[in-house]
Amino acid sequence: MDYVLQLAAAFSGSMGFALLFQVRRGKLLLASLGGLLAWAVYLALGPAIPQDVPRFFIASVALTIYGETLARVVKCPATLFLVTAAVPLIPGGSLYHTMRYFVAGDFTACSAQGLSTMLLALAIAAGMIVPTSLFQLVRRVRVWRQRRDELKK
Amino acid sequence: MEQRRQSFFSADDANYLARAEAADRANEYLYRVLDIGQYMLQSGAEISRVEDSIRRLCTSFGAERTDVLSITSSIIVTIYAPQFGAVTQTRRVGGQQYDLHRLELLNQLSRRICTEYLSLEETEAALDDIRSAPQYPFGVQLLTYALISASFSLFFGGSVLDAVASGLIGVVLRYLDRSIRSTEANAFVSSLICSCLGGLLAALSVRIGLGESVDMISIGNIMLLIPGIALTNSLRDMFTGNTISGLLRFSEAILLALTIAFGFAAVAALM
Repeated sequence: MDYVLQLAAAFSGSMGFALLFQVRRGKLLLASLGGLLAWAVYLALGPAIPQDVPRFFIASVALTIYGETLARVVKCPATLFLVTAAVPLIPGGSLYHTMRYFVAGDFTACSAQGLSTMLLALAIAAGMIVPTSLFQLVRRVRVWRQRRDELKK
Repeated sequence: MEQRRQSFFSADDANYLARAEAADRANEYLYRVLDIGQYMLQSGAEISRVEDSIRRLCTSFGAERTDVLSITSSIIVTIYAPQFGAVTQTRRVGGQQYDLHRLELLNQLSRRICTEYLSLEETEAALDDIRSAPQYPFGVQLLTYALISASFSLFFGGSVLDAVASGLIGVVLRYLDRSIRSTEANAFVSSLICSCLGGLLAALSVRIGLGESVDMISIGNIMLLIPGIALTNSLRDMFTGNTISGLLRFSEAILLALTIAFGFAAVAALM
Protein backbone atom coordinates (compact mmCIF):
# COMPACT_ATOMS: atom_id res chain seq x y z
CA MET A 1 0.00 0.00 0.00
CA ASP A 2 2.87 2.27 0.91
CA TYR A 3 4.50 1.46 -2.43
CA VAL A 4 1.33 2.21 -4.39
CA LEU A 5 1.11 5.61 -2.71
CA GLN A 6 4.77 6.34 -3.45
CA LEU A 7 4.37 5.33 -7.09
CA ALA A 8 1.29 7.51 -7.46
CA ALA A 9 3.15 10.42 -5.86
CA ALA A 10 6.16 9.83 -8.14
CA PHE A 11 3.82 9.93 -11.12
CA SER A 12 2.04 13.12 -10.10
CA GLY A 13 5.29 14.77 -9.00
CA SER A 14 6.82 14.11 -12.40
CA MET A 15 3.69 15.41 -14.04
CA GLY A 16 3.90 18.55 -11.93
CA PHE A 17 7.44 19.26 -13.05
CA ALA A 18 6.57 18.42 -16.65
CA LEU A 19 3.80 21.02 -16.47
CA LEU A 20 6.14 23.50 -14.83
CA PHE A 21 8.61 22.98 -17.68
CA GLN A 22 5.88 23.52 -20.30
CA VAL A 23 5.76 19.98 -21.68
CA ARG A 24 2.71 19.75 -23.95
CA ARG A 25 -0.26 17.41 -23.70
CA GLY A 26 0.72 14.37 -25.72
CA LYS A 27 4.12 14.08 -24.07
CA LEU A 28 2.91 14.96 -20.59
CA LEU A 29 1.66 11.46 -19.88
CA LEU A 30 4.77 9.83 -21.34
CA ALA A 31 7.04 12.05 -19.26
CA SER A 32 5.09 11.32 -16.06
CA LEU A 33 5.14 7.57 -16.79
CA GLY A 34 8.93 7.88 -16.96
CA GLY A 35 8.94 9.13 -13.37
CA LEU A 36 6.73 6.23 -12.35
CA LEU A 37 9.05 3.79 -14.11
CA ALA A 38 12.15 5.22 -12.44
CA TRP A 39 10.67 4.88 -8.97
CA ALA A 40 9.22 1.42 -9.76
CA VAL A 41 12.69 0.20 -10.77
CA TYR A 42 14.13 1.69 -7.59
CA LEU A 43 11.52 -0.07 -5.43
CA ALA A 44 11.76 -3.36 -7.31
CA LEU A 45 15.52 -3.52 -6.70
CA GLY A 46 14.98 -3.08 -2.96
CA PRO A 47 15.15 -6.76 -1.91
CA ALA A 48 18.17 -7.52 -4.13
CA ILE A 49 20.32 -4.44 -3.48
CA PRO A 50 20.06 -2.71 -0.12
CA GLN A 51 22.38 0.24 -0.92
CA ASP A 52 20.84 3.36 -2.43
CA VAL A 53 23.64 4.35 -4.81
CA PRO A 54 23.56 1.30 -7.14
CA ARG A 55 19.78 1.32 -7.04
CA PHE A 56 19.70 4.95 -8.13
CA PHE A 57 22.22 4.16 -10.84
CA ILE A 58 20.16 1.31 -12.30
CA ALA A 59 16.92 3.28 -12.02
CA SER A 60 18.60 6.13 -13.86
CA VAL A 61 19.85 3.79 -16.59
CA ALA A 62 16.32 2.43 -16.99
CA LEU A 63 14.73 5.87 -17.28
CA THR A 64 17.36 7.01 -19.77
CA ILE A 65 16.75 4.01 -22.01
CA TYR A 66 13.05 4.82 -21.76
CA GLY A 67 13.64 8.50 -22.56
CA GLU A 68 16.09 7.99 -25.42
CA THR A 69 13.84 5.37 -27.05
CA LEU A 70 10.77 7.57 -26.75
CA ALA A 71 12.69 10.57 -28.08
CA ARG A 72 13.36 8.60 -31.25
CA VAL A 73 9.76 7.41 -31.53
CA VAL A 74 8.05 10.77 -31.04
CA LYS A 75 10.96 12.77 -32.54
CA CYS A 76 11.87 15.30 -29.87
CA PRO A 77 14.90 16.05 -27.67
CA ALA A 78 15.56 13.30 -25.12
CA THR A 79 16.13 15.98 -22.47
CA LEU A 80 12.38 16.46 -22.32
CA PHE A 81 11.90 12.97 -20.91
CA LEU A 82 15.15 12.73 -18.97
CA VAL A 83 14.64 15.87 -16.89
CA THR A 84 11.03 15.13 -16.01
CA ALA A 85 11.37 11.37 -15.44
CA ALA A 86 14.36 11.81 -13.13
CA VAL A 87 12.31 14.00 -10.77
CA PRO A 88 11.46 11.27 -8.18
CA LEU A 89 15.14 10.29 -8.00
CA ILE A 90 16.54 13.82 -7.70
CA PRO A 91 18.06 14.15 -4.21
CA GLY A 92 16.35 17.45 -3.44
CA GLY A 93 15.36 16.48 0.08
CA SER A 94 18.83 15.18 0.78
CA LEU A 95 20.42 18.37 -0.55
CA TYR A 96 18.12 20.40 1.68
CA HIS A 97 19.04 18.39 4.78
CA THR A 98 22.75 18.81 4.00
CA MET A 99 22.40 22.57 3.90
CA ARG A 100 20.14 22.53 6.92
CA TYR A 101 22.88 20.82 8.97
CA PHE A 102 25.35 23.35 7.61
CA VAL A 103 23.18 26.28 8.70
CA ALA A 104 22.67 24.66 12.11
CA GLY A 105 26.44 24.30 12.49
CA ASP A 106 26.40 20.50 12.70
CA PHE A 107 29.32 19.92 10.36
CA THR A 108 29.71 16.18 11.01
CA ALA A 109 26.15 15.47 9.95
CA CYS A 110 26.52 17.99 7.13
CA SER A 111 29.53 16.24 5.60
CA ALA A 112 27.97 12.78 5.93
CA GLN A 113 24.69 13.93 4.39
CA GLY A 114 26.53 15.99 1.79
CA LEU A 115 28.61 13.01 0.72
CA SER A 116 25.52 10.86 0.30
CA THR A 117 23.78 13.63 -1.67
CA MET A 118 26.77 13.91 -3.99
CA LEU A 119 26.95 10.14 -4.44
CA LEU A 120 23.26 9.95 -5.33
CA ALA A 121 23.52 12.83 -7.79
CA LEU A 122 26.63 11.21 -9.28
CA ALA A 123 24.82 7.87 -9.58
CA ILE A 124 21.93 9.52 -11.45
CA ALA A 125 24.23 11.51 -13.74
CA ALA A 126 26.41 8.48 -14.49
CA GLY A 127 23.32 6.38 -15.09
CA MET A 128 22.19 8.90 -17.71
CA ILE A 129 25.56 9.04 -19.44
CA VAL A 130 25.94 5.33 -20.12
CA PRO A 131 22.83 4.68 -22.25
CA THR A 132 23.09 8.08 -23.97
CA SER A 133 26.64 7.34 -25.10
CA LEU A 134 25.60 3.89 -26.30
CA PHE A 135 22.74 5.37 -28.31
CA GLN A 136 25.16 7.88 -29.84
CA LEU A 137 27.63 5.13 -30.67
CA VAL A 138 24.95 3.12 -32.45
CA ARG A 139 23.96 6.19 -34.46
CA ARG A 140 27.55 6.93 -35.43
CA VAL A 141 28.16 3.34 -36.54
CA ARG A 142 25.00 3.53 -38.63
CA VAL A 143 26.07 6.79 -40.29
CA TRP A 144 29.54 5.38 -40.90
CA ARG A 145 28.12 2.25 -42.50
CA GLN A 146 25.81 4.30 -44.70
CA ARG A 147 28.75 6.33 -45.94
CA ARG A 148 30.81 3.23 -46.59
CA ASP A 149 27.98 1.66 -48.59
CA GLU A 150 27.59 4.84 -50.63
CA LEU A 151 31.29 4.86 -51.36
CA LYS A 152 31.12 1.25 -52.56
CA LYS A 153 28.46 2.16 -55.08
CA MET B 1 58.82 37.21 -51.86
CA GLU B 2 58.47 40.82 -52.93
CA GLN B 3 56.06 39.77 -55.65
CA ARG B 4 53.85 37.93 -53.21
CA ARG B 5 53.65 40.73 -50.73
CA GLN B 6 52.51 43.09 -53.45
CA SER B 7 49.64 40.79 -54.39
CA PHE B 8 48.54 40.80 -50.78
CA PHE B 9 48.21 44.54 -50.40
CA SER B 10 46.98 45.58 -53.81
CA ALA B 11 43.80 43.54 -53.77
CA ASP B 12 41.59 44.89 -56.52
CA ASP B 13 38.60 46.88 -55.28
CA ALA B 14 35.88 44.66 -56.73
CA ASN B 15 37.20 41.65 -54.92
CA TYR B 16 37.50 43.58 -51.71
CA LEU B 17 33.92 44.84 -51.91
CA ALA B 18 32.55 41.37 -52.62
CA ARG B 19 34.39 40.09 -49.59
CA ALA B 20 33.08 42.84 -47.34
CA GLU B 21 29.55 42.19 -48.55
CA ALA B 22 29.89 38.48 -47.91
CA ALA B 23 31.21 39.23 -44.44
CA ASP B 24 28.19 41.46 -43.79
CA ARG B 25 25.81 38.71 -44.76
CA ALA B 26 27.73 36.17 -42.73
CA ASN B 27 27.43 38.47 -39.73
CA GLU B 28 23.68 38.71 -40.15
CA TYR B 29 23.30 34.95 -40.45
CA LEU B 30 25.54 34.43 -37.46
CA TYR B 31 23.42 36.84 -35.44
CA ARG B 32 20.33 34.70 -36.06
CA VAL B 33 22.24 31.51 -35.33
CA LEU B 34 23.27 32.99 -32.00
CA ASP B 35 19.64 33.91 -31.35
CA ILE B 36 18.72 30.27 -31.75
CA GLY B 37 21.61 29.19 -29.56
CA GLN B 38 20.69 31.73 -26.89
CA TYR B 39 17.04 30.67 -26.75
CA MET B 40 18.06 27.02 -26.62
CA LEU B 41 20.38 27.68 -23.70
CA GLN B 42 17.72 29.73 -21.91
CA SER B 43 15.14 26.99 -22.41
CA GLY B 44 17.37 24.49 -20.66
CA ALA B 45 19.26 22.71 -23.47
CA GLU B 46 22.45 20.85 -22.66
CA ILE B 47 25.68 22.62 -23.64
CA SER B 48 26.56 19.88 -26.12
CA ARG B 49 23.22 20.31 -27.89
CA VAL B 50 23.68 24.07 -28.20
CA GLU B 51 27.21 23.76 -29.56
CA ASP B 52 26.22 21.01 -31.95
CA SER B 53 23.21 22.94 -33.29
CA ILE B 54 25.27 26.09 -33.84
CA ARG B 55 27.92 24.11 -35.68
CA ARG B 56 25.35 22.50 -37.98
CA LEU B 57 23.53 25.79 -38.60
CA CYS B 58 26.74 27.60 -39.53
CA THR B 59 27.75 24.80 -41.86
CA SER B 60 24.38 24.96 -43.58
CA PHE B 61 24.79 28.74 -43.98
CA GLY B 62 28.07 28.13 -45.80
CA ALA B 63 30.80 28.27 -43.18
CA GLU B 64 33.73 26.05 -43.96
CA ARG B 65 34.87 25.88 -40.39
CA THR B 66 33.01 26.69 -37.17
CA ASP B 67 34.49 27.04 -33.70
CA VAL B 68 31.94 27.27 -30.90
CA LEU B 69 32.44 27.62 -27.21
CA SER B 70 29.40 27.79 -25.01
CA ILE B 71 29.08 27.97 -21.27
CA THR B 72 25.84 28.51 -19.38
CA SER B 73 26.16 32.29 -19.51
CA SER B 74 27.89 32.97 -22.83
CA ILE B 75 28.34 31.76 -26.40
CA ILE B 76 31.37 32.50 -28.59
CA VAL B 77 31.37 31.56 -32.28
CA THR B 78 33.93 32.09 -35.02
CA ILE B 79 33.09 30.96 -38.53
CA TYR B 80 35.46 30.86 -41.44
CA ALA B 81 35.05 30.58 -45.21
CA PRO B 82 37.30 31.80 -48.04
CA GLN B 83 34.52 34.10 -49.36
CA PHE B 84 34.29 36.21 -46.20
CA GLY B 85 37.24 35.31 -44.04
CA ALA B 86 36.80 34.85 -40.31
CA VAL B 87 33.73 36.29 -38.57
CA THR B 88 33.28 36.23 -34.80
CA GLN B 89 30.36 37.05 -32.55
CA THR B 90 29.79 36.58 -28.87
CA ARG B 91 26.58 36.57 -26.90
CA ARG B 92 25.97 37.01 -23.21
CA VAL B 93 23.17 34.75 -22.05
CA GLY B 94 21.22 35.26 -18.85
CA GLY B 95 18.07 34.08 -17.15
CA GLN B 96 17.58 30.39 -17.62
CA GLN B 97 14.12 28.95 -17.24
CA TYR B 98 13.21 25.44 -18.29
CA ASP B 99 10.79 25.54 -21.20
CA LEU B 100 10.93 22.14 -22.84
CA HIS B 101 8.23 22.96 -25.35
CA ARG B 102 10.22 25.89 -26.69
CA LEU B 103 13.35 23.75 -26.75
CA GLU B 104 11.51 21.23 -28.88
CA LEU B 105 10.36 23.93 -31.31
CA LEU B 106 13.88 25.36 -31.54
CA ASN B 107 15.27 21.93 -32.24
CA GLN B 108 12.74 21.45 -35.04
CA LEU B 109 13.57 24.87 -36.46
CA SER B 110 17.29 24.22 -36.52
CA ARG B 111 16.69 20.91 -38.28
CA ARG B 112 14.45 22.63 -40.80
CA ILE B 113 17.10 25.27 -41.49
CA CYS B 114 19.70 22.59 -42.12
CA THR B 115 17.55 20.54 -44.50
CA GLU B 116 15.51 23.23 -46.26
CA TYR B 117 18.08 26.06 -46.22
CA LEU B 118 15.64 28.71 -44.97
CA SER B 119 16.36 32.32 -45.91
CA LEU B 120 17.20 34.97 -43.34
CA GLU B 121 13.65 36.36 -43.40
CA GLU B 122 12.04 32.95 -43.02
CA THR B 123 14.32 32.17 -40.10
CA GLU B 124 13.42 35.44 -38.41
CA ALA B 125 9.71 34.83 -38.88
CA ALA B 126 9.99 31.30 -37.47
CA LEU B 127 11.96 32.61 -34.47
CA ASP B 128 9.29 35.24 -33.81
CA ASP B 129 6.64 32.52 -33.84
CA ILE B 130 8.60 30.52 -31.28
CA ARG B 131 9.17 33.56 -29.09
CA SER B 132 5.45 34.31 -28.99
CA ALA B 133 4.38 30.68 -28.47
CA PRO B 134 2.03 30.70 -25.47
CA GLN B 135 3.00 29.22 -22.11
CA TYR B 136 0.52 27.51 -19.81
CA PRO B 137 -1.92 30.06 -18.35
CA PHE B 138 -1.34 31.33 -14.81
CA GLY B 139 -4.18 29.20 -13.38
CA VAL B 140 -2.51 26.03 -14.59
CA GLN B 141 0.77 27.20 -13.10
CA LEU B 142 -0.88 27.68 -9.70
CA LEU B 143 -2.26 24.17 -9.95
CA THR B 144 1.17 22.91 -10.95
CA TYR B 145 2.80 24.31 -7.84
CA ALA B 146 0.05 22.77 -5.70
CA LEU B 147 0.43 19.41 -7.47
CA ILE B 148 4.21 19.29 -6.99
CA SER B 149 4.05 20.31 -3.33
CA ALA B 150 1.28 17.87 -2.47
CA SER B 151 2.93 15.00 -4.38
CA PHE B 152 6.27 15.34 -2.63
CA SER B 153 4.67 15.80 0.75
CA LEU B 154 3.01 12.39 0.23
CA PHE B 155 6.10 10.93 -1.42
CA PHE B 156 8.28 11.58 1.62
CA GLY B 157 5.69 10.09 3.97
CA GLY B 158 3.37 12.96 4.92
CA SER B 159 -0.31 12.45 5.67
CA VAL B 160 -3.12 13.54 3.35
CA LEU B 161 -3.72 16.60 5.53
CA ASP B 162 -0.04 17.54 5.24
CA ALA B 163 -0.29 17.23 1.47
CA VAL B 164 -3.29 19.54 1.37
CA ALA B 165 -1.51 22.15 3.50
CA SER B 166 1.63 21.85 1.36
CA GLY B 167 -0.40 22.25 -1.81
CA LEU B 168 -2.06 25.42 -0.51
CA ILE B 169 1.27 26.90 0.51
CA GLY B 170 2.58 26.00 -2.95
CA VAL B 171 -0.11 28.21 -4.49
CA VAL B 172 0.87 31.10 -2.24
CA LEU B 173 4.52 30.64 -3.19
CA ARG B 174 3.66 30.81 -6.89
CA TYR B 175 1.95 34.15 -6.33
CA LEU B 176 4.90 35.39 -4.33
CA ASP B 177 7.35 34.15 -6.94
CA ARG B 178 5.52 36.06 -9.65
CA SER B 179 5.46 39.32 -7.75
CA ILE B 180 9.15 39.01 -6.83
CA ARG B 181 10.05 38.21 -10.44
CA SER B 182 8.27 41.34 -11.63
CA THR B 183 10.65 43.45 -9.51
CA GLU B 184 13.62 41.67 -11.16
CA ALA B 185 15.28 40.80 -7.87
CA ASN B 186 18.03 38.22 -8.17
CA ALA B 187 17.43 34.50 -7.74
CA PHE B 188 18.93 34.34 -4.27
CA VAL B 189 16.74 37.08 -2.82
CA SER B 190 13.64 35.50 -4.32
CA SER B 191 14.57 32.05 -2.94
CA LEU B 192 15.29 33.47 0.49
CA ILE B 193 11.92 35.25 0.69
CA CYS B 194 10.03 32.22 -0.67
CA SER B 195 11.68 29.83 1.75
CA CYS B 196 11.13 32.12 4.76
CA LEU B 197 7.47 32.48 3.94
CA GLY B 198 7.15 28.76 3.18
CA GLY B 199 8.54 27.86 6.58
CA LEU B 200 6.34 30.41 8.31
CA LEU B 201 3.16 29.20 6.63
CA ALA B 202 4.01 25.55 7.33
CA ALA B 203 4.43 26.30 11.06
CA LEU B 204 1.22 28.35 11.08
CA SER B 205 -0.87 25.69 9.36
CA VAL B 206 0.19 23.09 11.92
CA ARG B 207 -0.83 25.50 14.71
CA ILE B 208 -4.30 26.00 13.27
CA GLY B 209 -4.67 22.25 12.83
CA LEU B 210 -4.23 21.93 9.07
CA GLY B 211 -1.50 19.33 8.77
CA GLU B 212 0.41 17.34 11.37
CA SER B 213 4.11 17.73 10.74
CA VAL B 214 5.91 20.93 9.80
CA ASP B 215 8.72 18.92 8.19
CA MET B 216 6.38 16.94 5.94
CA ILE B 217 4.58 20.07 4.82
CA SER B 218 7.83 21.93 4.20
CA ILE B 219 9.48 19.16 2.17
CA GLY B 220 6.82 19.50 -0.54
CA ASN B 221 7.54 23.22 -0.85
CA ILE B 222 11.27 22.69 -0.62
CA MET B 223 11.16 20.40 -3.67
CA LEU B 224 9.67 23.34 -5.58
CA LEU B 225 12.54 25.63 -4.69
CA ILE B 226 15.58 23.38 -4.28
CA PRO B 227 17.81 23.13 -7.39
CA GLY B 228 18.04 19.32 -7.39
CA ILE B 229 17.67 19.09 -11.15
CA ALA B 230 20.38 21.70 -11.64
CA LEU B 231 22.71 19.74 -9.34
CA THR B 232 22.22 16.51 -11.28
CA ASN B 233 22.52 18.22 -14.64
CA SER B 234 25.70 19.98 -13.56
CA LEU B 235 27.31 16.62 -12.90
CA ARG B 236 26.04 15.38 -16.25
CA ASP B 237 27.65 18.41 -17.92
CA MET B 238 30.96 17.59 -16.28
CA PHE B 239 30.73 13.96 -17.36
CA THR B 240 30.21 14.99 -20.97
CA GLY B 241 33.31 17.17 -20.95
CA ASN B 242 31.72 20.57 -20.34
CA THR B 243 33.58 21.11 -17.10
CA ILE B 244 33.28 24.90 -16.89
CA SER B 245 29.51 24.92 -17.34
CA GLY B 246 29.19 22.03 -14.95
CA LEU B 247 31.16 23.84 -12.27
CA LEU B 248 29.18 27.05 -12.79
CA ARG B 249 25.86 25.29 -12.42
CA PHE B 250 27.17 23.23 -9.54
CA SER B 251 28.24 26.20 -7.45
CA GLU B 252 25.03 28.03 -8.30
CA ALA B 253 22.97 25.04 -7.13
CA ILE B 254 24.91 24.69 -3.88
CA LEU B 255 24.59 28.39 -3.03
CA LEU B 256 20.88 28.40 -3.85
CA ALA B 257 20.33 25.31 -1.69
CA LEU B 258 22.21 27.01 1.12
CA THR B 259 20.00 30.09 0.82
CA ILE B 260 16.83 28.01 0.92
CA ALA B 261 17.98 25.99 3.93
CA PHE B 262 18.88 29.23 5.65
CA GLY B 263 15.40 30.62 4.96
CA PHE B 264 13.58 27.62 6.41
CA ALA B 265 16.00 27.27 9.32
CA ALA B 266 15.73 30.96 10.26
CA VAL B 267 11.97 30.68 10.56
CA ALA B 268 12.18 27.40 12.50
CA ALA B 269 14.55 29.07 14.97
CA LEU B 270 12.21 32.04 15.41
CA MET B 271 9.00 30.06 15.93
